Amino acid sequence: MEHMFRTRGGSVDVTLARSDDVWILGEHRATVESDGRLKIHLSNGTSGFATVAKVGDCWWVHFKGHTFNFERIEPGASQSGDEGGLTAPMPGKVLQVLVEVGQTVNAGETLMVLEAMKMEHRILAASQGSITEIHFAAGEQVQQGSVLLAMDEED
Amino acid sequence: MVSKVLVANRGEIACRILRACNEAGLASVAIYAANDASSLFVELADESFLLDGDTITDTYLHQAQILDIAKNAGVDAIHPGFGFLSERADFARAVTEAGIQWIGPGANAIEKMGDKMTARITMRAAGVPVIPGEEIEETDEDLALQAIEQASTRVGFPLLLKASSGGGGKGMRAVEHPEELLDAARSARREAIAAFGDGRVYLERLLTGSKHVEIQVLADRHGRTIHLGERECSVQRRHQKVFEEAPCATMTEEIRSAMGKAAVAAATAVDYEGAGTVEFLLAPNGEFFFLEMNTRIQVEHPVTEMVTGVDIVREQLRIAAGQPMSCGDLQMRGHAIEVRLYAEDASNNFLPAIGPLSVFVPPEGPGIRLDTGVRQGDEVTPNYDPMLAKLIVWAPSREEALQRMRRSLDEFVVLGTTTNLRFLRELCDVPDVIEGTTDTTMIDRLWPNGWNPNASIEVEDGALMAAAVAESSGLHRQSHSSPQSDDFSGPVSPFRTLSRRYP
Repeated sequence: MEHMFRTRGGSVDVTLARSDDVWILGEHRATVESDGRLKIHLSNGTSGFATVAKVGDCWWVHFKGHTFNFERIEPGASQSGDEGGLTAPMPGKVLQVLVEVGQTVNAGETLMVLEAMKMEHRILAASQGSITEIHFAAGEQVQQGSVLLAMDEED
Repeated sequence: MVSKVLVANRGEIACRILRACNEAGLASVAIYAANDASSLFVELADESFLLDGDTITDTYLHQAQILDIAKNAGVDAIHPGFGFLSERADFARAVTEAGIQWIGPGANAIEKMGDKMTARITMRAAGVPVIPGEEIEETDEDLALQAIEQASTRVGFPLLLKASSGGGGKGMRAVEHPEELLDAARSARREAIAAFGDGRVYLERLLTGSKHVEIQVLADRHGRTIHLGERECSVQRRHQKVFEEAPCATMTEEIRSAMGKAAVAAATAVDYEGAGTVEFLLAPNGEFFFLEMNTRIQVEHPVTEMVTGVDIVREQLRIAAGQPMSCGDLQMRGHAIEVRLYAEDASNNFLPAIGPLSVFVPPEGPGIRLDTGVRQGDEVTPNYDPMLAKLIVWAPSREEALQRMRRSLDEFVVLGTTTNLRFLRELCDVPDVIEGTTDTTMIDRLWPNGWNPNASIEVEDGALMAAAVAESSGLHRQSHSSPQSDDFSGPVSPFRTLSRRYP
């Protein structure tokens, strides 16, 4: 599941995978406790409880003595300034490649479909343009952050 | 005799006083503005009365209305708390004339200490060291400016111009060079006239690198005036204290004894009664100078309570009832630190913040005290001071107290409204704070371009993941702000249908 949040440092795309009760983000793991808190296991081996509350569009999070306030950006809301989306947001497998090099695509068109933890994730074109490179074929494994495709964007 | 007390205040300090009344077996009365109808302090009182009016002036500052409520409710004492009417001599006098006991010093003492020039003159006469400087009594603009210019050559630069009726930094100007003097004097006078209707200013030598150290005093009608040791409150932002402790880390037994004697002399000189605080500047060479006396209970009184074991508010009630204070010889024990939790954005010039307290979970465990006027589900509004709570810790040593404060601040969860929690937590790691060598300019010196929170990438990733998981799991559909609705959302609760008969 993909979510976009506005942080102090800018917009961040968070794409979660799930295995039974365990949520996965890269090497981090999380479970939802019965009291509504979240147990977070970080990739560095430490863990802690996060307390969350949603006020309006903002998620307030207390974690390890820090308090954060992330505004959730609704999917479909302006995703300008982020010409990325062409990198793998999570480790997984390429399920489908829907375009060819040289093909012209429209903004929002699906370029590639990934699968991770039995969940599909669509890679969309941020703007109109033409595909210049395709780095993976269907069935190949990708790492988080792998560049999947490249395109020339038209303004 | 005091048997029923009206608390002419709101929020945290009203809660503190109402609880003390309850413990002392006194009936209590709260007064509240309409926008405080569901505030915690209203619940803690035996009776509560709505104040008419929409502004602070028409409610918590409306002397006649408050006096009427006091008379109608049949109270025999009024506790003003701090702020609002606590240092208004005219109100103290009106209360006394209405035959109601004022819980605090007499109107004359409030007046003498409230006018800063009168206070300096009174203190000098009592042998209390004041900051070298000169009072300017001239009210005529031209004559006053002339006198200020002449006095400045004797006081020397850098110097401070302060309004005699001033407070909170209003009508105060630091002057580094002689050529800036007249402009600064004109603007200080203008500001003072606008704020207090009194343009008189005085000159003080500017003492840099000094600590703000204050002595708590108690005086009863049985001839006893004592001091309860010092508090250090040097860590300030915009002239407001944020981190206070007792004892002062660099205090020596000799300075404490001399400062304590000076504070008792100051109180005695104005026939003081009840609890008060004498503020001093403590210079690096150990010299100290009278700053002002606060003729009321102070925000940071809990740190003194923690190290002396004296319940200062309870003593106020006792003294007002004409009883001798109950504390005997004092033994300072351990170390206490208080931080003020504000709804404010420390990373944006400490601007006040508003919002819901969707989650408000204070820390628990040994050595922790929380004085607050809010609870989870409350709304922080722009109507009043943004202080939400005072977190106080006690431990046998200063080092352990700091460790306990760090742990407590890490555990404290406040969601829905921006607070200075993280700023306070990072203060605990500042070398000057660890060493106890704080002075009044520390925050400006440490963060000249403002403070920003400093979380590691891993921690922020964890928090982002928490937000994403919460969104994906639909956790936002569980309301945090109204826990009752969770409790009663199931099948019809038997408690709702239970009906009792009262005799």
